[in-house]
Amino acid sequence: MNLRLLHRRLAVLMGMAGLLAFAGGAGFEPVTTALAFMALVAGLFWHPDPVRSARMERIWLPLATLLVARALVHVFLIRGDVVIPVVDLLLLLMAAEALRALEAPNDLRLYALSFALILASTAYRPGILFLVGFVAYVGLATVALMVGHLRRGAERHGVRNVPLGRGLLTTTSLLSVVVLLVSGVVFLTFPRVSQGFSGRGDTMASSIAGFSDEVSLGQHGSTISGNPQIVLRVEFPGGAPGDIGQRHWRGRSYDRFDGVRWSRSRGLPPASAPRSWYRERWEGPMIEQRIFAAPLDSRVLFALHPAVDIDTENSIQPLVDNAGDFLYWGSGAPTYTALSPARAPSAERLRAAEDGFSPSQRHFLQLPQLDPAVTALADSLTAGLDTRYDRVKAVERWLQGFDYTRQLPATASETSLEHFLFERQAGHCEYFSTAMVVLLRAVGIEARNVNGFLGGQWSQFGNYLAVTQNQAHSWVEVWFPEYGWVTFDPTPAGQGTGSVTSSWFWPGRILFDGIQHRWGKWVLDYGADDQNGLLSQWSGFLTGEREGGSEQGSPGAATGGRSYLLAGAALVFALLLGWMWVRRSGPTVAPAARVYLALRKACAQAGLDVTPGLTPTGLLAMVRRARPDAARASERVIRSYLRWRWGGEPLEDVELGAMRDALKAARSDLGNDANSRPPRAGFPGVREASEGVSS
Amino acid sequence: MSEPAGPLRRALASAHGLYRRIRAWRRIRFTAGGVVFTIGTTAVGFAALNTGNNLLYLLLGAMLGFIAVSGWLSEQAIRDLRIERRTPRATTVGRDVVLTYHVRNLKRRFPTLAVEIFEEGLAEPAFVSHVPAGGNVTVRSSNGFVRRGVYPLGTVVLSTSFPFGLFRKERDLELPGEIVVWPRHDLVVRDPVPGAGHVPRGGPSPRGAMGWRGEYRSLRTYRTGDDPRDIHWKSSARLQKPVVREYERGAAETRWICLDTRGSESTGAERAVEIAASLAARCVAEHRPFGLATPEGVIEPGADLGTLERALDLLARVDFSPTAPLPVPPVGRESCVLVSLTGATGFADTVLVPSEEVAA
Repeated sequence: MNLRLLHRRLAVLMGMAGLLAFAGGAGFEPVTTALAFMALVAGLFWHPDPVRSARMERIWLPLATLLVARALVHVFLIRGDVVIPVVDLLLLLMAAEALRALEAPNDLRLYALSFALILASTAYRPGILFLVGFVAYVGLATVALMVGHLRRGAERHGVRNVPLGRGLLTTTSLLSVVVLLVSGVVFLTFPRVSQGFSGRGDTMASSIAGFSDEVSLGQHGSTISGNPQIVLRVEFPGGAPGDIGQRHWRGRSYDRFDGVRWSRSRGLPPASAPRSWYRERWEGPMIEQRIFAAPLDSRVLFALHPAVDIDTENSIQPLVDNAGDFLYWGSGAPTYTALSPARAPSAERLRAAEDGFSPSQRHFLQLPQLDPAVTALADSLTAGLDTRYDRVKAVERWLQGFDYTRQLPATASETSLEHFLFERQAGHCEYFSTAMVVLLRAVGIEARNVNGFLGGQWSQFGNYLAVTQNQAHSWVEVWFPEYGWVTFDPTPAGQGTGSVTSSWFWPGRILFDGIQHRWGKWVLDYGADDQNGLLSQWSGFLTGEREGGSEQGSPGAATGGRSYLLAGAALVFALLLGWMWVRRSGPTVAPAARVYLALRKACAQAGLDVTPGLTPTGLLAMVRRARPDAARASERVIRSYLRWRWGGEPLEDVELGAMRDALKAARSDLGNDANSRPPRAGFPGVREASEGVSS
Repeated sequence: MSEPAGPLRRALASAHGLYRRIRAWRRIRFTAGGVVFTIGTTAVGFAALNTGNNLLYLLLGAMLGFIAVSGWLSEQAIRDLRIERRTPRATTVGRDVVLTYHVRNLKRRFPTLAVEIFEEGLAEPAFVSHVPAGGNVTVRSSNGFVRRGVYPLGTVVLSTSFPFGLFRKERDLELPGEIVVWPRHDLVVRDPVPGAGHVPRGGPSPRGAMGWRGEYRSLRTYRTGDDPRDIHWKSSARLQKPVVREYERGAAETRWICLDTRGSESTGAERAVEIAASLAARCVAEHRPFGLATPEGVIEPGADLGTLERALDLLARVDFSPTAPLPVPPVGRESCVLVSLTGATGFADTVLVPSEEVAA
């Protein structure tokens, strides 16, 4: 394969790698991407002759003009996302360059276009596909740049054949490992002095129903039932609780129900319990949850209920509203740590909690116009029960006797709560939670509807809990004085999860998600804290200190000894480098010629016009004329040189010594020590360089 | 400004020497692509700092990695090379001289790729496209000279922008040598009038008398340019070195060319040198003995190529000076042809060259 063809193919493959990286970040439009991909594949195998290539120019130019116009329309008229039209333009230009004649010197343009694609993809929050594209790009670029350079050099100097064996190409491609290593080192060690003004790149936010300010009955949980997209990845630094599959990842609460939809009252007074209640009166140790959430269009922070503290790790800012829900401000995928009590108060303690502060009854006892049968039902279910807890559990147990189904009611009249309670007695989680809240409010117990996710799948590969969209769920929070909002779930157990997690491809998906999670955690969200931790580990390793205290004996002496060892190693290394440098740079000039050349330099430094073509006798004449005081010594040097050079007589050591003495005297007479070199200049008598050749 | 004191002067000289060694060791320059790449790297670095985007840090690292690999590979390209230069003994003004470089790669593992070999002061480099590890290759460069002289060759510059064309790394190698550039000796010059009666010519003209060698005179050591037919093989075998026969021709047939170097360097001066060289070359072509006298030396008469080469060597080195003396030939002036800018009396013929004359 000749250099041109090899180089073109490598440059086109670079374009493909850029396309792959961009697709991993911002996604792609299928038609445009497919066309560009086909053009690039064609560019690998088909190369038009220069005449045909010139004809094809007539196609590319109008198309590119159209795409530029489209981008301008996006910017100035539609004010939409300009990236996609610009990327379409990039893809068109790349296709045009890939399909040019092999003779066209367009390699730099191909490099630039593929690099632009890589650069554009960093504006998003790309997945692991970006890494694949990036690694491929670096590997291909290493070889392509080298081959391109050889190609240009060979063409400039008229070399027809440059033998490029596979071994050389393989070795060069292996050097991309060095590039990637350097990249990794810079990535890890470059100081993260700023969190940035523009964020770390956004992913296209996923739309998810059920977490906005209004939720219609039947909307949440049904429309997303088949979506296996992972929305939460939760690590438990202190250890995962045993019943992790049954935990509720609380998102938003709703206090107002109008018979069809749940909403959040705008004027809701503070309705959250003091955090001290949750810290002190709930049971068990705190569960620390490190949560990596996918960016959703609803900016909700999910956590186990009740979250007593949330600490964000990236540029988002958490907010707590009056209902006690956690939201956030900022862009990007939220990463945060939440602390929640392990268990709710025991039944006995909740039974005892009858009197005390209650949140706004106007909001949490609000009911729509109901069929009187509903109220009667609530009364009958709680009749004879003294405590709030027992009444709540009675309603919960009764509802848990219903059937779970995701089949929506067939007609509009069947969507009502009354139809669910008295006739159908089957539905999905929203019906259960809504029914429970309504029944509890009907008997005077403050309750609210809560949306979030239930359970999740434990990833053995990444040691985290993966929560998918199809695990969206609704449940109930009931107010208990002195304890706050307590979770109850009337949906029949084991019915809320989807079937996707049991399908044959789920293990592969969870494995891939583990890689994605690591990518996000270690690369996309790598920050100053991680850097400090890494630095501490390294400094601990180098100084011999370990976390948790110093070693026994004399830690100071050990640290000092290791520092001296490192300094000594650095000194030895520097000396070794210096020795190698000195050893390699010894010139091999004949002694007589060296002395004569030194005299020429001395004369040049003394201001004489010593041109490269000046002969020894000419030099002597010049010295006699311009510096007669140095003529005598200079003549001794020049005569000796001429005798050695033209007379064919080797100089004896004594003569060489005399020559050097004469040089010293000449230098002294000339007024310099002639150690410096004259500046490099072209011979005045040499033909100028021909066009296109650098000198 | 007063000169620095002794210790300071020595320190300055040492520092300058150190700088020289470092400069000779390695020099790095940006190429146009390298400037763009470096600006791009800086821009990506600023973008990473301002946005905190980790992928930009990754990209920045890769770009710095390319620079690091570029530096390492370019170092591998120009290190551990043994270079021998072969130059022709002399060339003539206006003709290309081909410098031949024998490049041996002393590295055991790494090949050398895309290295240019520059001679300090010469324009055209030689290009080494590929030398395998432990292998060798011969490359050539071609340069032309427009002025006679002795051109010292000292520093060979190994230069490469391998592997990515981002930076050009250079290294100096001291390879002493020289190229003697003879003056042109193919000018059409009028045949000197043999003295207009002043140059005595005894006997028949040797013009056209091919093979006429005159009376045997002696043996001498072979010199470059001697006619191989003149080698005396028996004596050469006995003395273990080539010796040639010398013949003696009539003194009256010898044309003595005297070059008057009085005057300043000018195109006319160069023209005078070229005329003297052309007169000598014509004599050799006509098998006529000639001798050359300049203030800087005398070439003994001869009609062979060796004599011509020695004459051209001498003419390559002559310098013009207003205070230069007239040449003193070993024969009387009335037997000599003078080539001069100013003219002089007493010579058989004088080729007067105007000092402002522009060379053809």
